[in-house]
Amino acid sequence: MSSFVQDEMLIGPDELILITGASGFIGARVVLRLLERGFRNLRCLVRPPSKEKFKRALGANAERVSIFPGNLLSREDCTSLAKDAVAVIHLAAGRGEKSYPDAFMNSVVTTRNLLDACVANGVCRRFVNISSFAVYDNGHKNTGKLLDESCPLEERPDARGEAYCFAKTKQEQVVAEYRDRYGLSVVTLRPGIVYGPGNLAISGRVGIDTFGVFLHMGGSNRIPLTYVDNCAEAIVLSAIRPIDGSEAFNVVDDNLPSSRQFLQRYKRQVKQFRSVYLPKPVSYAFCYLWESYSAWSHGQLPNAFNRNRWNSLWKKTEYSNAKLKQRLGWTPLVSTEEGMSRYFAACREKMHA
Amino acid sequence: MLKVAIVGCGKIADSHAWQIRRIPGCGIVAACDREAMMAAQFCERFDVRAQYTDVETMIRETAPDVVHITTPPESHYPLAVQCLEAGCHVYVEKPFTLHYIETERLIELATKLGLKITAGHDDQFSHVARRMRKAIASGYLGDRPVHMESYYCYELSNTGYSGAMLGDKKHWVRRLPGKLLHNIISHGIARIAEHMTSANPTVIAHGFISPVLKNLGEDEIIDELRVIIAEESGTTAYFTFSSKMRPGLHSFTIYGDEGGLALDQDQEILIRLRGKRHKSYAEKFVPPVSFARQHISNLRTNMGLFLKRDFQMKAGMHYLISSFYRAIQMSEPVPIPYQEILRTSRIMESVFDQLRAQAEQRQAPVQEPAHV
Repeated sequence: MSSFVQDEMLIGPDELILITGASGFIGARVVLRLLERGFRNLRCLVRPPSKEKFKRALGANAERVSIFPGNLLSREDCTSLAKDAVAVIHLAAGRGEKSYPDAFMNSVVTTRNLLDACVANGVCRRFVNISSFAVYDNGHKNTGKLLDESCPLEERPDARGEAYCFAKTKQEQVVAEYRDRYGLSVVTLRPGIVYGPGNLAISGRVGIDTFGVFLHMGGSNRIPLTYVDNCAEAIVLSAIRPIDGSEAFNVVDDNLPSSRQFLQRYKRQVKQFRSVYLPKPVSYAFCYLWESYSAWSHGQLPNAFNRNRWNSLWKKTEYSNAKLKQRLGWTPLVSTEEGMSRYFAACREKMHA
Repeated sequence: MLKVAIVGCGKIADSHAWQIRRIPGCGIVAACDREAMMAAQFCERFDVRAQYTDVETMIRETAPDVVHITTPPESHYPLAVQCLEAGCHVYVEKPFTLHYIETERLIELATKLGLKITAGHDDQFSHVARRMRKAIASGYLGDRPVHMESYYCYELSNTGYSGAMLGDKKHWVRRLPGKLLHNIISHGIARIAEHMTSANPTVIAHGFISPVLKNLGEDEIIDELRVIIAEESGTTAYFTFSSKMRPGLHSFTIYGDEGGLALDQDQEILIRLRGKRHKSYAEKFVPPVSFARQHISNLRTNMGLFLKRDFQMKAGMHYLISSFYRAIQMSEPVPIPYQEILRTSRIMESVFDQLRAQAEQRQAPVQEPAHV
């Protein structure tokens, strides 16, 4: 049974909501969803070079929000940003960083600065921390089992060979520390693969093209997709719905396709290319050998493929959005079928451009 | 055991830590960063026991033999002075200092205190760079270098370091006298400085902002640079920095009066350029065969190094750090002669002075010609 009351809101329409990373792929959709829901006092942090892009993304709505070009590494900027904000949606993160220190600085140090400012501000009623599936340790359960919010987080995120995983796991730890120390109401959202026009790359969960040919690793695995508008809706609900204490939610859509189905449709609807399917034992052996060689050669090859990463990306796993639906009343705005059609259309458009 | 400390736990500190871990007889005993979280993440990943936010406390409590300074360049000089005065040998990441006078003072201080110091010009110690040095020492070029060409390119993108720098008008790179160039060109200039002898060569520099950056609204980051360097002995050099040129070269060619050597840093290839011509049509047919043979030989060498697990991306840094530690422990000469560090610093300062003057000239109001 649903445990929320449909019209109950934690935040009033005129109360200030801060959105960091507002100009990003998800951020702009979150801002639009908030405006659609009648929230009128939005402060949007954007990186200075992204300001114009953000205005274009919002169109006429750009006039309805307050745009704050700034940097979360600056404590002064954080203080100004957090002032009077009753809800914070923290989307900004160091994505695409290959260096651990850079990813850490742009995800963890920035989050700490923002949390300090929120605590000092003293009026923050909800802090929404956008995390990722990357933080889960998927190695301790059998193949094909459900990955839900009760699953353990990575204990050795540095061993994944992915700076993003390390930074996101540490970010969650910092947020949890502030939640416990200062009693902040924190909602952590862990989206799967957020896709849609604006993010057209094929997820690594489907396969990789590092070696010149596309290695299809996912096979019959479900791909934890969430269409960007669905993800934005989940983020908005997590900011405005009352929840007792703090919670974490996974964000995935319904009727998830398998990796094979996704790839077949991509090839049919976007472009044909050669791919080689690596069965699970082969891809696992590949990761194991790579990991061993990396250690033996003192990092001559970086530890980019390893068993932790295999467990996270390519182990057969099931996903659930039951908690999100039950506790926040979330339902996907766009069906997976429709979302994939839009995504493939955007891919085709980009290719022809 | 040689006790090592790291000051500054950003991206390049990771490279240092990876290489230090491969050197027997030494260990990282402490790491320091003004941002405690950065020191903590470094210590966690590299299993370092002591983390600090203050250099003085770190040195007092852990007494390192050598300190690696891997902070942004503005703090290199004061930190190096502090470490030297505390009795530590110092490895300073590139660029060594912001100003020539600081380079001079650091070297004087180290010498006076009987300590050793080096600059992070690790590209000069990659396998291919060492092979080039050996060929030059064997007399392949002839008497002395006649001319050099050094290319050092950098691809600017909207992500990572360059994205952050372009998007932030207060970024620390913008505070450097040579801005972006200051943080990048040391490797390419140091290659030239190695083969010169004059303390103060003549430098003519021309820099400009590429159209791509101008279109992004950039008005202070110079990303295209051409330099002519000459010394009285007759040795000359061209240096090129470009953010737009493709391929983005990191290469160095040196010509003597008997032959030349061409080094490609990215591909780790060294090609010998024969000084004498073949007779008649042989000049059209023999050199391609000779070059093909040399390329195959480079391939064999690189594969051999890879199989021996000695072909890390930062193999040059490993060699430089090992050599520096040997210089400290066994009183061997420092891997980079101090004159070379000084010359690099002098050339860079001269380049940045000229670029600044050019920028001022561009900004100065145009004077109306006087009417008679």
